[in-house]
Amino acid sequence: MALIDAQALPDASRIEADLIIVGGGLAGITIARQFLGTSVRIAVLEAGGRDIDMDAQEFYVGSATVRAPGNPDRELNNYPVQSRTRVLGGSGMVWGGKCVPLDPSDFAERPWIPHSGWPITRQDLQPYYDRACDLLEIPHFPPNAPPAGPAIDVGPDFFSAPRVFTRYSGGTDEDAFDRFRTEFASAPNVDVYLHANVTRIGLNAAGDRVETLDIACLNGRRHSTAAKSYILATGGIENVRLLLASNDRAPAGVGNGHDLVGRFFQAHVVYAVDGNAETEGSAIQLSPGQPTALYINLKRGGPQSVFAATLEGQKRLNSGNFTCTLYANAGPPAPGGVAEETAAIGALAATLDGKAGQGRGPLVGCFLMAEHFPNPDSRITLRPEKDALGLPHIHMDWTYSAADLDGLEHAVDGLADALGARGKGRLCWPGERSALVAIGNASRHHMGATRMHPDPKRGVVDADSKVHGLANLHIAGSSVFPTSGIANPTLTLLALAIRLADHLKPQLGATR
Amino acid sequence: MIARRDLIVFLSALSAGAASAAMPVLAAEPSLLTGLDKTAGGRIGQAWLKENPGATAAALTRRLAPKGWSPATLERLRLKVADDFRQGRVFRHRGWRLADTEGALFGLLALTA
Ligand SMILES: Cc1cc2nc3c(=O)[nH]c(=O)nc-3n(C[C@H](O)[C@H](O)[C@H](O)COP(=O)(O)OP(=O)(O)OC[C@H]3O[C@@H](n4cnc5c(N)ncnc54)[C@H](O)[C@@H]3O)c2cc1C
Repeated sequence: MALIDAQALPDASRIEADLIIVGGGLAGITIARQFLGTSVRIAVLEAGGRDIDMDAQEFYVGSATVRAPGNPDRELNNYPVQSRTRVLGGSGMVWGGKCVPLDPSDFAERPWIPHSGWPITRQDLQPYYDRACDLLEIPHFPPNAPPAGPAIDVGPDFFSAPRVFTRYSGGTDEDAFDRFRTEFASAPNVDVYLHANVTRIGLNAAGDRVETLDIACLNGRRHSTAAKSYILATGGIENVRLLLASNDRAPAGVGNGHDLVGRFFQAHVVYAVDGNAETEGSAIQLSPGQPTALYINLKRGGPQSVFAATLEGQKRLNSGNFTCTLYANAGPPAPGGVAEETAAIGALAATLDGKAGQGRGPLVGCFLMAEHFPNPDSRITLRPEKDALGLPHIHMDWTYSAADLDGLEHAVDGLADALGARGKGRLCWPGERSALVAIGNASRHHMGATRMHPDPKRGVVDADSKVHGLANLHIAGSSVFPTSGIANPTLTLLALAIRLADHLKPQLGATR
Repeated sequence: MIARRDLIVFLSALSAGAASAAMPVLAAEPSLLTGLDKTAGGRIGQAWLKENPGATAAALTRRLAPKGWSPATLERLRLKVADDFRQGRVFRHRGWRLADTEGALFGLLALTA
């Protein structure tokens, strides 16, 4: 019915609803919106307020170490606090709005990638992707659709995968996003509680149902809950933290009977190398006449395509998913011999590619992304230190295996070969294997640490996003992804959120 | 053995798109080496030669243009380049992935420069 400040409720209030959603980010809000106008009473418990503030943000402090074989470890201790926002709307307040579905290959079990495969297919998720696109007012992504414009055909191992931007971000269209994150709260069956930090998931004596949640406010007030069903939607890191920290009845934490909560953390990292006097930097020298408009699109509204590995290509190259994103090369080439060598390479390639007399084709910058394979050693754990409300801080052991590095290298070589063999261009990738951790630029995508698998020994949630062994707790957000592909995760987590809402509606007796 | 002039003529004719089956490449003006910097190309060639120490201009000519330099040679080289990439015969230079045939062409340029 309203936005309610939990700090203003009488101490020890009990918040009652049919469905309680913990977290008012894009996932939590999207689920709540699916119940608008139904008979189901919804309460959203949101730790932040309406504005980003440092007091709330402080609760996201933690630490992170990125590791890969043959690379020096890299401390990214600011990452946990800088890669998300604790406020109504969550990281939606600051996200870039780039929307991409996972490729059909991302859902497939790929024998060369341990722990790959989803219990659902892209086809299963397609109607929910369509609804998520409608919510964000962007065009649908039909699988295997032809490119939206003239494309560079580099053969069967790679295709041109589209990306689209939504305006629903606090950073893009503040008013539109403000309506998105607040208007739903005025529905008669919805209450949104702000400044309501959930600090514990309380189980019943049998340990098979959520009985209550502990809510703590920064002004000292404490509240509790009662509901038929609960959804944890506190983001890809915080979902783990709450489950692990709620260890009074289940010593290893809620849903962690098989030591899986926090494991299989996956991230997206952008790899690029800047040019200098010694090297061109990561770039593609295209042959003359290649259409670039589809790939280098400076307008946020329109589609922008990237080269992405097909399932066939991944199999052949023994890699995971992989993308190469093109951008207009900034400024003139670095002075010195390198630029002239690049020009010579471009001129010879143009001739050999059958474009003699057309000069050199465009030189474009590129960055690469390679799938982070599911890895049980890549994990989020709790630190001994606690925050002001008694919740332990998190530590991220963000770990790559040799297979991740191999996958990137195989895919880069595969793309270079595909471009060259088809006479489309030449690829420059001067990145060193031993420097990948150092040069990687981390996206703020937190995936995999409460993974979906029908077998409780292999996943935290089942195919319906229900926590194994708990009758009334579901998880929303990118932490349920078994594999992470390259796609920015939000469109997929919204599709899954809508699917979860549809799944719960009959259980909660939703009627219009 | 190929004269540097012949190679330059060949490359320049290719770059200029002036060659036709009816017009022998060797008749073209050597100065038409548009788009290919001999110094920079030579440096790439030196790097290729470092990885292929035994290569001589004569051997490279036999490899690259066994029937002499003509427009048909270009078509042959184009197929060679595509095949190199397909077979993973790639020469890496400062991060660039080039077909070994391209490296050899630069190598020949370096040897005849
Ligand atoms: C700078 C930036 C750019 C990004 N760009 C893109 C992009 O272009 N495309 C893309 O797909 N993704 C992008 N992302 C990621 C995207 O923002 C997230 O995937 C998405 O917002 C996650 O939504 P969520 O609701 O699952 O989690 P969150 O946004 O983290 O929301 C969780 C909510 O739970 C609340 N909460 C946390 N703990 C508690 C607790 N204990 N009790 C109660 N409430 C709690 C939080 O305050 C928050 O509101 C970007 C992220 C950042 C930071």
